[in-house]
Amino acid sequence: MPGQIMADERKLQRDREFHAEALRWLPEVTRFALSLTRDESDADDLVQETYLKAYEAWDTYTPGTECRGWLFTICRHSFYRRRLREERQVTCDDPELEALAAVAVHASARQGGYADLFARFDLSEAIDRAIAALPEAFRDVVLLVDVNDQSYEAAADTLDVPVGTVRSRLFRARRLLQEALIDHARDAGLVRAQTDAGANRHES
Amino acid sequence: MPGGMPMLDCESVMRQLWDFLDGELTPERMAAVRAHIEMCKRCYPQHEFEQSFLDAVAARRRQHSDPQRLRRRVADALRAKGLSDA
Ligand SMILES: [Zn+2]
Repeated sequence: MPGQIMADERKLQRDREFHAEALRWLPEVTRFALSLTRDESDADDLVQETYLKAYEAWDTYTPGTECRGWLFTICRHSFYRRRLREERQVTCDDPELEALAAVAVHASARQGGYADLFARFDLSEAIDRAIAALPEAFRDVVLLVDVNDQSYEAAADTLDVPVGTVRSRLFRARRLLQEALIDHARDAGLVRAQTDAGANRHES
Repeated sequence: MPGGMPMLDCESVMRQLWDFLDGELTPERMAAVRAHIEMCKRCYPQHEFEQSFLDAVAARRRQHSDPQRLRRRVADALRAKGLSDA
């Protein structure tokens, strides 16, 4: 039955492509899933779901295009489908104005004595909490670009938004994170000792 | 100045600082911004602050405790769906 042999050949070819193009990104997809779920067993479920869906939909993947971004898209959709959708409408500001707003955050950090906040203190848990508290659209770009080291273009591809939207959301998200972390440092009294010592020196 | 780099003022450096830190500018722009930051008293501390922030966030990248186990699990699930061991 030559027809059957042809079909088998095609399936084998398709499976070979899946191994070569999709399964090679397993470590990256795992890392992305971990950053979304923040829980290893949830991440395992999410990675498996992602790959099963990818295998089912493999015929819709265009060979030679960015397969990692395609997998990230499936992974992200699967993750959010399990949770209540948040409001997706986000106001989109001029990225360059957002970039300039970072100057004001830095100025206020310096005034508060937090200029070396990120270099001096271990803020790991506060960073995780602050990322988790971001609105979904902002969290997505931070996880893709800042935690998973994706370019603006790759993130735009995964999120299916223009690169300009990635930039403005990313810069805004960074400002929100910095403000949250500076608030955290102030509440936790992270630099009080240093400021007091400076004040004492000044008085004596 | 023939062949010299374009002069940038602080504001335009600040506008491009995130793009610079993310390596998203053209090589010429990257060089021009870097040259400005290295010699500017205003922009240098800002650059250090933002870089330390990005390093702290990037350090939140997690590693899976047993990637081989997950790989086997995914491979088994795919095999059950018909994927051959190519
Ligand atoms: Zn400057």
